[in-house]
Amino acid sequence: MPSPMVVFAFILLSYFLVTGGIIYDVIVEPPSVGSTTDEHGHSRPVAFMAYRVNGQYIMEGLASSFMFALGGIGFIVLDQTHSPSTPRLNRILLIIIGFACIIIAAIACYAFMKIKLPGYLMS
Amino acid sequence: MCVCVCVCVFDDRAWYPLGRIIGGTIYPGLMVTSAAIYHILNWLHISIDVRNVCVFLAPLFSSFTTIVTYHLAKELKSPGAGLVAAVMIAIVPGYISRSVAGSYDNEGIAIFCMLLTYYMWIKAVKTGTLFWSTMAALAYFYMVSSWGGYVFLINIIPLHVLTLMITGRFSHRVYVAYSSLYVIGTILSMQISFVGFQPVSTSEHMGAFGVFGLCQIHAFVDYVRSHLNKNQFDTLFRAVISTIAAAGVLTLAVLAALGKIAPWTGRFYSLLDPSYAKNNIPIIASVSEHQPTAWSSFYFDLQMLTFMFPVGLYFCFSNLTDENIFIILYGVLSIYFAGVMVRLMLVLAPVMCILSGIAVSSLLSTYMKQIDDVKVEKKKQRFEGNYFMRSEIATLFVCVMSVFLVMYTLHCTWVTSEAYSSPSIVLSARGHDGSRIIFDDFREAYYWLRHNTPEDAKVMSWWDYGYQITAMANRTILVDNNTWNNTHISRVGQAMASSEDKAYQIMRELDVDYVLVIFGGLTGYSSDDINKFLWMVRIGGSTDKGTHIKEHDYYTPAGEFRVDKEGSPTLLNCLMYKMCYYRFGQVYTEGGKPPGYDRVRNVEIGNKDFELDVLEEAYTTEHWIVRIYKVKDLPNRGA
Repeated sequence: MPSPMVVFAFILLSYFLVTGGIIYDVIVEPPSVGSTTDEHGHSRPVAFMAYRVNGQYIMEGLASSFMFALGGIGFIVLDQTHSPSTPRLNRILLIIIGFACIIIAAIACYAFMKIKLPGYLMS
Repeated sequence: MCVCVCVCVFDDRAWYPLGRIIGGTIYPGLMVTSAAIYHILNWLHISIDVRNVCVFLAPLFSSFTTIVTYHLAKELKSPGAGLVAAVMIAIVPGYISRSVAGSYDNEGIAIFCMLLTYYMWIKAVKTGTLFWSTMAALAYFYMVSSWGGYVFLINIIPLHVLTLMITGRFSHRVYVAYSSLYVIGTILSMQISFVGFQPVSTSEHMGAFGVFGLCQIHAFVDYVRSHLNKNQFDTLFRAVISTIAAAGVLTLAVLAALGKIAPWTGRFYSLLDPSYAKNNIPIIASVSEHQPTAWSSFYFDLQMLTFMFPVGLYFCFSNLTDENIFIILYGVLSIYFAGVMVRLMLVLAPVMCILSGIAVSSLLSTYMKQIDDVKVEKKKQRFEGNYFMRSEIATLFVCVMSVFLVMYTLHCTWVTSEAYSSPSIVLSARGHDGSRIIFDDFREAYYWLRHNTPEDAKVMSWWDYGYQITAMANRTILVDNNTWNNTHISRVGQAMASSEDKAYQIMRELDVDYVLVIFGGLTGYSSDDINKFLWMVRIGGSTDKGTHIKEHDYYTPAGEFRVDKEGSPTLLNCLMYKMCYYRFGQVYTEGGKPPGYDRVRNVEIGNKDFELDVLEEAYTTEHWIVRIYKVKDLPNRGA
């Protein structure tokens, strides 16, 4: 029988894949990044499919679900910092990593959503 | 309020000429609940119209859901987790989207019934008493009566029992709980006419039956083990297991080969194989709610919960109990199903809230203890040097968590007000100067139909508008949102996609008097029938009588779907095209563009000046969104 934490690691990996929209990618087959032509006629890549909440490109999906998983890992790391027997330096590093993960993930997701829906959180 | 009365009701004003047996084709729970509340309130002399009961039923039941979520999370972890979970589910957009006032659909009460059944099941597993198991069976009966999603329950509960067996946690409590729930629940579920004998004949229910058998075997084995010594037991065990396994596999194979066990039906099979609907059943694939989910739908409907979900799972894995295993299974399965179909985000929202409640509550309770660190006991001093600014870090964490929760609230209220608060029958848009323009075309057209057509007129439209025409225009229709008869819908699709004379034959066969189409080219309304047209072609071509309709005939040689001069001649001459663009060629829609410019497809239409042979225009609404045509009678003399 595998240990609970091994099963949890598998579940986290599948969570990363599913929330990245992998099933959407398989069925709808969107491009990896979109493209738009600018005023000089050159085609420039577009990272996020704008104005549609239920559509995505492959890269943006994986980037966002990586942020979801990173936020979760940040909280889990912070939960590991309470044991009395970890040395001082390790504890300080773990706390810094934990807070950094959480804050980066939250700000990144907010920024991604703002790019996708320009009117996000504006009434 | 006897359920069997419903069987006698036959609706002959929908699905003309087939009609529909109401009693045998719906889940009665929602209607029975509304009627019960209406009668109780009127008996108490609180005179309330039944329409108001229906409008406010969904918000009422979402309040009940909040209470049940509190109790469920309290059983799983602690009252603190329950409170956080209840607060989160009260505002989560994923659930609010299907439970606004006025949305009178099965999901409004189904989520409450589902969580109630889970709560009763958890209590049954924890206590192992017959009382809680029976309560769970009654809650399950209420769930079966309200939504087709009960299939999820009758598979996840046996899966939970199976997981407990595999991890060695099977006990007499689980045995009592599951055996009673399965027997009583199945008998009760077969009382609903729509379900009928499905629980003993379809593959979706066989898992539960298999686990029931396995439960009995496991309990019997435990009983025998307690009475024999080890060697005797081992020999007996090995011999019996091999015989039973062989017999079981043989029986299943024979039953499946004889066709006694029906295979998984299309809608549920497409959850296991998402590409199945796309390739084989276009009508399931065409519904926009059935599309797979992109990352932004997850974030839009759940925001912070997407971060806390893995943390909640981590806390459940850290101290595994019988009930935590259940919530882990529920969480993992519903994440997968929500990824396959956007509509199932609704099933994911409660478990996201529960697991996030567990996570937030555990984290906060650990950190709150560390804030006030004044007294240091002697025995802890040995490890004190290992801690660094303990109370400051704790305060910082509590502040960060509070900011997260406040951002979650702001996000939820913004999403609810922007996306889930508008009526769907009256549309609005902002003009160039920012003023609001209201499009009330739908109600205008339905009221015209109601007042200007004969009582027994039959209206043909695509199935999306069926319920609206029945309710607001009060006319007989051919197909509606129930979509229970694919062949009939396919016939309508063939009529829409064929040329005028072929379509006229189909319309005479079905006794159609009026045809209704939705057209967005003048206003830029993009959910119109031209954008849905390819689905009509696919569904029309999917049955026997429609084999002459091939999708690639409607594309240009380059493979594009175009309505301008380059468009395929089959498309430019089919009935749907002619009905949408009749007289549109003379209309100026946008400055600087030629007449007949379609504002949704952004092209000038290809076939402009044509006359209709078999139809005559009856009514077009103010913004051309709804167009109604009358089918001409046969000519008096031969051609």
